[in-house]
Amino acid sequence: MRFSVNRDVFSEAVSFAVKLLPQRTTLPILSGVLIESTPAGLTLSSFDYEVSAQTTIAADISEEGSILVSGRLLADIASRLPNAPVEFSTDDNRISVTCGSAHFTLLSMPVEEYPTIPQVSGEQGLVPAEEFATAIAQVAVAASRDDVTPVITGVQLEVTGTKISLVATDRYRVAVREIEWDGGADAPSLTALVPARTLQEVGKTFGHSGTITVSFTSKDDREIIAFSADDKTVTSLLIKGSFPPVRRLFPEQVDNYAVINTGELIESVRRVSLVLEREAALRFSFSIDGLTMEAIGSEHAQASESIDALLTGEDIVLSLKPSFLIDGLNAVRSEFVRFSFTKSENTNKPGPMLITSQSSKDQPGADSFKYLLQPNLLLR
Amino acid sequence: MGRDDGAGRQVTVGAADDSATPILHIDMDAFFASVELLERPDLRGKPVIIGHRDGRSVVTSATYEARKFGVGAAMPVSKALRLCPHAIVVPPNYAAYSHFSREVMRIFSEITPLVEQLSIDEAFLDVSGARRLLGSPATIARLVRERVVTETGLTCSVGVAASKFVAKMASTRSKPDGMLVVPKEQTLAFLHPLPIRTLWGVGPATEESLRRLGLATIGDIAEVPIGALRSAVGVAGAEKLSQLARGHDPRPVETSRVEKSVGHEVTFHADITDIEQLRVELLRLSDKVAVRLRERGWVTRTVGLKLRWSDFTTLSRSHTLPEPTSVGRRLHEEAVALLDALRPLRPVRLIGIRAEQLASSGDGALLWDPDEDWREAENSVDAVRKRFGTSALAPASLLGGPRGSAGGTRTQPFSED
Repeated sequence: MRFSVNRDVFSEAVSFAVKLLPQRTTLPILSGVLIESTPAGLTLSSFDYEVSAQTTIAADISEEGSILVSGRLLADIASRLPNAPVEFSTDDNRISVTCGSAHFTLLSMPVEEYPTIPQVSGEQGLVPAEEFATAIAQVAVAASRDDVTPVITGVQLEVTGTKISLVATDRYRVAVREIEWDGGADAPSLTALVPARTLQEVGKTFGHSGTITVSFTSKDDREIIAFSADDKTVTSLLIKGSFPPVRRLFPEQVDNYAVINTGELIESVRRVSLVLEREAALRFSFSIDGLTMEAIGSEHAQASESIDALLTGEDIVLSLKPSFLIDGLNAVRSEFVRFSFTKSENTNKPGPMLITSQSSKDQPGADSFKYLLQPNLLLR
Repeated sequence: MGRDDGAGRQVTVGAADDSATPILHIDMDAFFASVELLERPDLRGKPVIIGHRDGRSVVTSATYEARKFGVGAAMPVSKALRLCPHAIVVPPNYAAYSHFSREVMRIFSEITPLVEQLSIDEAFLDVSGARRLLGSPATIARLVRERVVTETGLTCSVGVAASKFVAKMASTRSKPDGMLVVPKEQTLAFLHPLPIRTLWGVGPATEESLRRLGLATIGDIAEVPIGALRSAVGVAGAEKLSQLARGHDPRPVETSRVEKSVGHEVTFHADITDIEQLRVELLRLSDKVAVRLRERGWVTRTVGLKLRWSDFTTLSRSHTLPEPTSVGRRLHEEAVALLDALRPLRPVRLIGIRAEQLASSGDGALLWDPDEDWREAENSVDAVRKRFGTSALAPASLLGGPRGSAGGTRTQPFSED
C-alpha cells in the first residue's frame, strides 16, 4: 500500500476515527484504526462492536491496500506532524510514515482479524445539524451515568411524522426536546435508545455539518443506528429494553409559576451552594417579593440570597438539589426561565417542577425544551 | 463479653495519677447473666449460662463461675455443657437486658453528656468537663460504679486512661467488678507486656500474621520496623497497629455513632436446605431491617446476603440497587435474587441480610418510584405496629406455622470497621 495525503485532512480524519474508541479494551485489535486505500479515496475506520466511526478522505493513492495501526499512537503522531504532505508505504506488516524530514515506522496489526464495520441501510431521515446538536446537549445531561440501570443511560429518540424528539432521564429529572425530522412522505414512526455518551460525541462532531442523515437497521437481533454527514459516519448499537414512560409525568397545564432571569439565578445558586455539603439541597422560597434561596450547610456555615422573581399563583417553598437545577438552567438557553409548580396528590411527596424557556418576562420561549425536576422532601 | 474469666485481674486500689486520663470505658460484668441473677438470687455463686439447651444455640453470656471452666461467648451451648456439666442454662430475656441497658446508659448520661455507647453493655465517657463538678476521673469512675450497683444491682468494670483504646483494655484487665487507672506516662509500661490479642481491633487472623513475624506482645509491635508490619497486615493496618502500640489513639469520644450498615441474621435449630423456607426467613429479616431503616429515616443502596453452610463456610454477596430504598419488599426481592444465584444450596446453618451504603431518606427524591405502593403499605404497617405492637401485623407467609429461627435473631448494629 502506498499513498500521500494532506497533513491537516489526515490529522482531522484520524482524530475523528479515534474519538469514540474505548479508553481500555480487552481486545488490543479493537484499539486500532483501519486505513484502507481504494480508488474512491482513503477510508479510516474504528469499531469496538458497539460503536463505529468511519470517514473517507481524498488522497493520492499509488497502491491499494489496508493497514491496522494503534489509534491513540496514530492520533498523537498525526497531530504533531510538520506541515507537509504525509506519505505512507508498507513493507509486509511494517508501515513507514514520512512527513517532511520526520520519519516513523509502525507495526500493522493483522487486518484480517478486524471485525467488519456495520453498514446501515434501513429507514432514514434528515435532521438539521445545529439544532440536533443543541437538542443533544440540552437533553443528554439528564441521562443516568449509573450502569446499574442500562435503559436510562441512553437518550430515547422518537420519530413521529415530521418531528423527532429526544428524551432522557435518571429518575431525578427528565429532559425532552423536539426538532424537525424529514423522513420523506409517509415516514414511519420509529424509536431508538442510543447511549448518551455516543450521542453527545455525535452532537459535537456533526454540529456544523448542515444536515445529518439518521438511519436505522435491525439485523440478526442487533439494532443499529447510524449518523452521517460530510463523508463521516458514526454507528451505535442501540440499548435494549423499554424506556420508562416518562411523558405522562409532565403536567398538562400549570397555574402556579415563577419567571426568573436565568443568568442571575445561576450565579446566585452557585454562590449560595458553596456552603452546602455534597448532595445537599437548597431551599427556594417564592413569594410576591421574589425568590429567596437558603443553604443550611454544616454547623459551620450558612448562606442566603434573594433575587427578583415574578410569581403567578400561590407562594411556594421547595427543596432542590443545586447540580440538577443548574443542569436544567444551562440547558434552557434563554434570557428568562419559567418554573412551573405542579400539585401532588401524595402529601409525602412534593409535585415535580417544570423548567421551560422564556424569551422575556412575559413571553414564553418558542422552543420545545422541557426539564422536569423532582424536588426533595422539605425536612422542616 | 470476652473470653476472660477474671484471671490476671489488675485493679487500682489506692491513689493513681489520673490528671491526664479523662477517658472512661465502662463495661458491665457478664451483663446478661447478671441481669438474670437479679431475678434468680438463688443462682448466685453458681455457674450460669444464658442460651438455649436445645438445638444449636450459642452461649450469649455466662457468669464468672462458668467462665472458669472455659465457657465463652459464641460457644455452642452443647460444648459449654461438656466443659461445665453442672452449669444452669437460662434462656435469654432480651426485653430485660435492654431495660437494664437503658438504665445504666441513663446513669452515664447524668455524669456527662459525652457518652459513646459501644454496645448494649459498654460505653466510653469523656469526663474532661465533669472534673470541677464531680472530681477527678478516678473519683468519677468510683462514683459510676457505686451508682450502677446501688441503682441497678449490677456490677461493672471501669478503665480510666488517656485514650479510648487504652481505657477499653484497662477495663478488660480489671474485670470483674474492678477499676484500673492507667496514668498517662505509664501507658506504654501498661501496654507493652500485654499479648497482641488484647489489642483492640486485633482478631485471630491479624494475630496469626503477626505471630508468624515472631511478634507476641504489644511491645514487640512497637519495636518492629513498620515495613515488616506492612508486609504482614497491609499499609493501613500497619500504620494503625504501630500507632496503637505506641499508645497513640486520637479518636475522640463520639456521642452520635454513625452506623454504616443495618443487618439481621438468624442461626437455625437444624440446617435448612429448602429454598422456600429460606425465602420466608429472608422475608422476616428484610422486614426487620426495613423497619429499622425507616425508624431512623434512612434508605439503603446496597443489599448484602450472608450465608453460612453447615461446615461453617461463610459467604457474603451483595447487590447495588438502581435507587436507594427502605422498602422491605424490595430488600427481600434483592436478597432472594442473591440467594438464587448461589444455587445449588448446601445445608444452611445461618442466613442474614444487611443494608449498606446508608443515606438519609430526605436526599434525592425520585420522579417515579416502582416501590411506591409497597412503601405506602409498609408505612401503614409501621403505624399499626406502633399502636398495637410488633406482632399486630405481619406478611401472611410469616404468620403461624413452626418458626425456623432458634436462639432469636441477632440484631447487628454494625460499626464502621
